[in-house]
Amino acid sequence: MVNITINGKTLEVAEGTTVLRAAQAAGIDIPTLCDHPHLTPYGGCRLCLVEVEGARTLQPSCTLPVSNNMVIKTDTKKVLDARKFVLTLLFSERNHFCPYCQVTGGDCELQNAAYHEGMTHWPLSPNYQPYPMDASHPYIIMENNRCILCRRCVRACGELVGNYTLGFEERGANSILVADTGIPLGESSCISCGTCVQVCPTGALIDRWSAYRGKETQVESTKTICVGCSLACGINVLTRNNSLVRIEGDWDAKLNEGVICEIGRFTPMAEKCDRIATPMIKKNGTLKAATWDEALAVIASQIKSSPKDVAALVSSRQPVETISRFAQLFNNKLGADMVTSTEEGQYTRSLAAYAKDQKKSFECNLEDLKSADSVMILEEDLSKDHQVAGFFIKRVLASNVKLLVVDSQENGLGKFANKYLKLSKGSRSEALLALSAAIAKLGIAKGKTKATASELKSLAEKTGLTSDDYLDAAYVIASSEHPVILYKDGADIESIHAIAELINAKMISVKGNANSLASSLLGVEKALNLQGKKVLFVANGDEELSQKSIKEFEKIPFKAVQSAYASSLTSIADVVLPSTDWLEQEGHYISAEGVVNLAKRSLIPAEDLLSPFETLGRLADKLGVKLDDEWTKLVHNRVSPVELSK
Amino acid sequence: MGKPKVASDWLAGCAGCHMSLLDIDERIAQVLDLVELRSTPITDMKHPDKSGVDVGILEGGINNSANEEVAKMMRSRCKLLVAFGDCAVFGGVPAMRNFFTIEESLRRAYIETESTDGSGKIPSDPELAVPTKVRALQDVVPVDFFLPGCPPEADTIFYVLAELGQGRIPELKGNTLHWQ
Repeated sequence: MVNITINGKTLEVAEGTTVLRAAQAAGIDIPTLCDHPHLTPYGGCRLCLVEVEGARTLQPSCTLPVSNNMVIKTDTKKVLDARKFVLTLLFSERNHFCPYCQVTGGDCELQNAAYHEGMTHWPLSPNYQPYPMDASHPYIIMENNRCILCRRCVRACGELVGNYTLGFEERGANSILVADTGIPLGESSCISCGTCVQVCPTGALIDRWSAYRGKETQVESTKTICVGCSLACGINVLTRNNSLVRIEGDWDAKLNEGVICEIGRFTPMAEKCDRIATPMIKKNGTLKAATWDEALAVIASQIKSSPKDVAALVSSRQPVETISRFAQLFNNKLGADMVTSTEEGQYTRSLAAYAKDQKKSFECNLEDLKSADSVMILEEDLSKDHQVAGFFIKRVLASNVKLLVVDSQENGLGKFANKYLKLSKGSRSEALLALSAAIAKLGIAKGKTKATASELKSLAEKTGLTSDDYLDAAYVIASSEHPVILYKDGADIESIHAIAELINAKMISVKGNANSLASSLLGVEKALNLQGKKVLFVANGDEELSQKSIKEFEKIPFKAVQSAYASSLTSIADVVLPSTDWLEQEGHYISAEGVVNLAKRSLIPAEDLLSPFETLGRLADKLGVKLDDEWTKLVHNRVSPVELSK
Repeated sequence: MGKPKVASDWLAGCAGCHMSLLDIDERIAQVLDLVELRSTPITDMKHPDKSGVDVGILEGGINNSANEEVAKMMRSRCKLLVAFGDCAVFGGVPAMRNFFTIEESLRRAYIETESTDGSGKIPSDPELAVPTKVRALQDVVPVDFFLPGCPPEADTIFYVLAELGQGRIPELKGNTLHWQ
């Protein structure tokens, strides 16, 4: 610890702390623009200049580490004049006219900083040099004329997302923000996560969907989780007059710390789906509007006639409450045997079986992935699904963390990997054996391997690769202290576990939908078999189902579907029930790493919409079935592959 | 000593700031108790008194030689000059054209505009004012007080006029300081 004095106040702070952070912790306000609490200090804007006793010039507090007995002043005339001068120069540089900018009126940190200093005008007029503007991206507008060169976006793109798309071209006043080598953002390596937009202090990077739809002071914000996948990233849903304005990553969320992906931030905005507004019953081949009572009566009578012939599916994107109630109604009370989720447990079934065999949890959590020093990704493309887990890996690759990608399909993270094993199709089991043989050959196995060193060559050839490939791969993961193996599902889980034990690795599966794990824990994970089924009930909510499964449903005589949106699924249904979407309902989710989260409601649904949870309650009433909702106990009935936590 | 004399005029602006001035509604009577309103675009007198006024208020930026003359005349005839609204303070919306050349702007305005009939023609009568780059008032004449806003809010305008009318220099901060 060192002692410092700021504005006459003596403080004890940890060594290595910057003057800015020390001041902030002591409640002393120093205005900044380029600083961001989640990014490394850059010292670009010079707004945070302070007077340090003994220093020849004013010092940027954001990059200046404290030293013992340092005396700092943040409120002298010299400092205040410097702040105004810095702002004067920034305003004179580019087009910072407020009346025609999206972020004006509270959302612009540059404008707020000027107000803070009481600036009524710009002492220097702008030089009116136009800079390029890039509107090639579907979601993001890059407006260099509004840029103050703080490089928050560049740092966020590299440090938080690990994508390194954004950078600067030219020098000094000519500096311009570019994507890749100066190509249009829409054609660049940008993965549309929008983190740059979220950190931009001015209107240089704005999201075209939410632009001009409401300032931060005019919107309501709901802190909740994203249900786009099983990671459960923390988000803030901004709404105005009960309509969605924007989704932002929650900086306070422990898991994602502000970062989210395209699916979390932009997809919900871009989706253009027809909402189903009212229950409908098919009459003479066309769906006709009906009341809830009529629609549920039709479904109930079909179910009642032979409960055994009912196949029931619930979306694994629904809250645990819904899945639990669903299983209780169809499985326990009605005795239907074909009760499963829309993803049919394809990612969790083997995991659950293995956990049962082992009688204990065997997976780690995502914090372990963040602190890993080598990662092996097995047949999961984190550039497409569960993208934020990919960010955790990509962003540390520059700091010497090693990556091995093993996949029989094209994997988007392959290009970032130290070794990328492209397997021939269907050779995953052999690849895992070959890898353990390679570990044996390197002589670094901690325990007995499933395959011996002598088998390496033949095993490698079966996967279309060479022994050297596997030796390289083994070296990538085995030469580190905290390796983590990440995979999508439980296929070959025994072999994966065996490798993990050889190299002392932790392991984690990312599973599928937001409630993949909960569905599994509640036993809703059977493979779908529609043989002899006469009635189908799909509590789908807002999930988009594959055409393949919809085709399979077609052969069932009576089909009832609850869905938020019109789709080819609802068009084949005999009874369609409307549904709330994820923003209009509340409930719990159990993430891939076993964390139980509450997803809060941020929008009030239209009058005639019911959540699948409420609908199941009404259907149970119609069927004369009594339900209790005890999911918090029920999820502990089976051994979970990963320990559950709050 | 009589009431301070106030004169105003508008240059390259949209008259919105003067409309916002009228939005002080009945409080204009209170202002008139404090000051003597002389020439304004909305009164009969069109030029500030040759003998001078105490406060001159100018809305709009300077976008041609005529604006420049008006600004210089006001400056020479007033003791305290107020830049009234974003265009006078910063250049404002008209200054968007500074990112293009004057020729490009004129061509767009008189020839390429969708509503132009026939081939269009850029006016070139020597009697007309000569267009220039759009400048903030302070780039042409010294300014004593800046009242930003697009437009400034009526309450702020009332506060500023009331303060000036009572011989005080207003201070803009917090709720009264807005640039848009």
